Amino acid sequence: MFDTTGFWRDIILSVGILFIIYTLLKIFVFKRFKNKDRAKEVGLNIALVLGIMYLFLRIYILIDFNLPDVIPAGNFMLSNILNQTLQVSVLALATTGIVLIFKTSTTTNFAQGIIATFGAFVAAKLIQNFTLNYTEMSVTTAVVLSMIAAAITAFIIGIFVDSVIIRNSKDKTPVGKQMITMGLVLVLSGAMPLIFGKILLPIPKLSYAPNIQFTFLGANLSITVHAFYALIITVVLLTILFTALRFTKWGLGVRATASNELVASMMGVNTKIITAMSWAIAGFLGAVAAVLLTPNATNVSVGLMTPTQVNAFMAAILGSFSSFLGPLVATVLIPVLTGLLSLVVPLWQNAVVYLIILAIVLVKPMGLFGKKVAKKV
Amino acid sequence: MICKNEVCNDRKAKIHQITHHPYFGFFIITFLMLMVQLLRVIGVPISITLLRAFGITMIYIIVALGFSILLGYAGLASLGTAGFVGIGTYLLGYFTKNFGLSIFLVIVISILGAIVIGGIVGFISLRIEGMYLAIITLGLSEILNEVFKNAVSITNGTNGLGLNGILVIFKNPVVVNHNTIFIATAIIMFFMMVLTLNIIKSPTGRAFLAMRNSTSAAQAMGISILKYRLLAFVVSTVYAMLAGVIYMSYISFSIPTTWSLAFSLNILAAVIVGGSQSIYGIVLGTFMIFGLNLGVLQQFSFFQNNPAISVVFNGLLIILVIMFYPGGLIRLVNTTYHKLKKIVLKLMTKWRVYRYGSDN
Repeated sequence: MFDTTGFWRDIILSVGILFIIYTLLKIFVFKRFKNKDRAKEVGLNIALVLGIMYLFLRIYILIDFNLPDVIPAGNFMLSNILNQTLQVSVLALATTGIVLIFKTSTTTNFAQGIIATFGAFVAAKLIQNFTLNYTEMSVTTAVVLSMIAAAITAFIIGIFVDSVIIRNSKDKTPVGKQMITMGLVLVLSGAMPLIFGKILLPIPKLSYAPNIQFTFLGANLSITVHAFYALIITVVLLTILFTALRFTKWGLGVRATASNELVASMMGVNTKIITAMSWAIAGFLGAVAAVLLTPNATNVSVGLMTPTQVNAFMAAILGSFSSFLGPLVATVLIPVLTGLLSLVVPLWQNAVVYLIILAIVLVKPMGLFGKKVAKKV
Repeated sequence: MICKNEVCNDRKAKIHQITHHPYFGFFIITFLMLMVQLLRVIGVPISITLLRAFGITMIYIIVALGFSILLGYAGLASLGTAGFVGIGTYLLGYFTKNFGLSIFLVIVISILGAIVIGGIVGFISLRIEGMYLAIITLGLSEILNEVFKNAVSITNGTNGLGLNGILVIFKNPVVVNHNTIFIATAIIMFFMMVLTLNIIKSPTGRAFLAMRNSTSAAQAMGISILKYRLLAFVVSTVYAMLAGVIYMSYISFSIPTTWSLAFSLNILAAVIVGGSQSIYGIVLGTFMIFGLNLGVLQQFSFFQNNPAISVVFNGLLIILVIMFYPGGLIRLVNTTYHKLKKIVLKLMTKWRVYRYGSDN
């Protein structure tokens, strides 16, 4: 359908052009700046923004070129972006959990996805129960109730993991903690089929109402009600979390622990409770994400959250672990880019997105929004 | 037995020399592996699954050895192992099927390819460190997995690539017996262990260790970070791709789902559980993670019916080892050995006192 070789040639060409622009800027413009590091950073940011804009423009032109004249390419792109709403909200929840744990415990939590899947299994079991025993209950109520149950289960598992396993471990290095989460992945993925048996019914969508239709910039767009509700739930949860981080005492404690755990504990912050709560909240967010995601997969399975998990790591790297809002921008960018690229280079969209992230991270090792941390020797 | 004459002392010294040779342990491990194969050939009823389990475990030991140089010595955490092993398997499959190349030539090609890929990853590691490096290499592995899935003309996509037999000499298709490959694997494993020991004990290994402890201090002592990071990644990639080639020749089948994140995590677990700085530890860890499940637990019908339980067991093992024995199982083995030795010595002195009477 689309000219693939042209796309590849274009990517190589655009990277080359960006490089030349950057070199020219470096030679002729940044020499005049007094603060060289700052100038370098500004130059990099300009190059990155130009690059991402160019990429979107290029995809737009490709789509426009290949579509029949009736449909404007803008509509096509917008509707594609809207199709990714569910993915974006799920990814945002999962990524926030991972970043929260990274900030308070300085480890990458590989078990985030599997704890969330455990929650999804609980939800599926409950829904099976509801449909058998409480036939008059509406679908939305059943899903919301089971979602809450799933989230609470994951919350408890999170507390358990931090306060029982990680706190009593002798190896408290980041790699050691990472290994513990890996072990948890194995334990839970083995235990889930044993505990829950075979689950026949899928988790239903929040609502099966017809799609919401609306016009935006002269384009007729539609979004599924499920994705819309998912977006609302995500926005509400994340708003509550970020408000709490910004304005409550607990949030202050989290930020203090994130910047330095030892000093925070010396200043009277109860870092044990802070880390346990961050594990619990990460589990909570993950479970909500898993329950929202499941209707798009056919059934609840052990590998439900694995792709989301990998994407969440990528988003956290791209947006930088050191901020909370940076990863959120990345969580919007990754699914949207994947969705658009699936039109241009079908099957290869994930590989291309990972390559782009790799290139960006090579240029800016601390991520798009990260600041360089001076290392003590 | 108490030695009194010169000849006896000489013999004792010679035996001591042999048993305390650094390669003696490796030789024993290889010998045991070969004995399994030999017993099966003679006619002892060893099931094919058990033999396969040992073969696969040996191949994974090679991967884990390369990874231990990277993690235990150079201090670089990578999660791209699965992708590299996968490349090795597909290289053998592609070149044997389409060009009819001999396996020795494919090994040379894979080593060259590994040097290139390892170099690229090494350059990446110069800019990115720690957890970030682990996640970036994970992304690299995912890219490779997508390539395995989608480059259908080379890898046969998600159906998996099968192989009818390997070519030993050009254009001369010889379906090599699996037993022969098992023996070859054991011998290659022996040489890889020797190579690893030599790398570790050489100035290169000490440079790795210095770099692991502090890059700044290492640089101050004149160690080039660029050179040794590249070298560490190249060595580990060569090990992984070589293991991939052997895997393909032994199993004759490669499918993208094998080379997923789980494989990299399992290799990491094997190295950490065993003890990342000891070769025996790695052998022990790989047996614990892969061999125990494939070879021992699968022999019981209970575990065959509930494969999930062995996964749970593996996970619990990892968690418990990290919680209580952070140095790895090999440290536990060493401490118990020394404690037992102490107890035995104490008992012997007591017995001597009882038998001959005390000195005073």
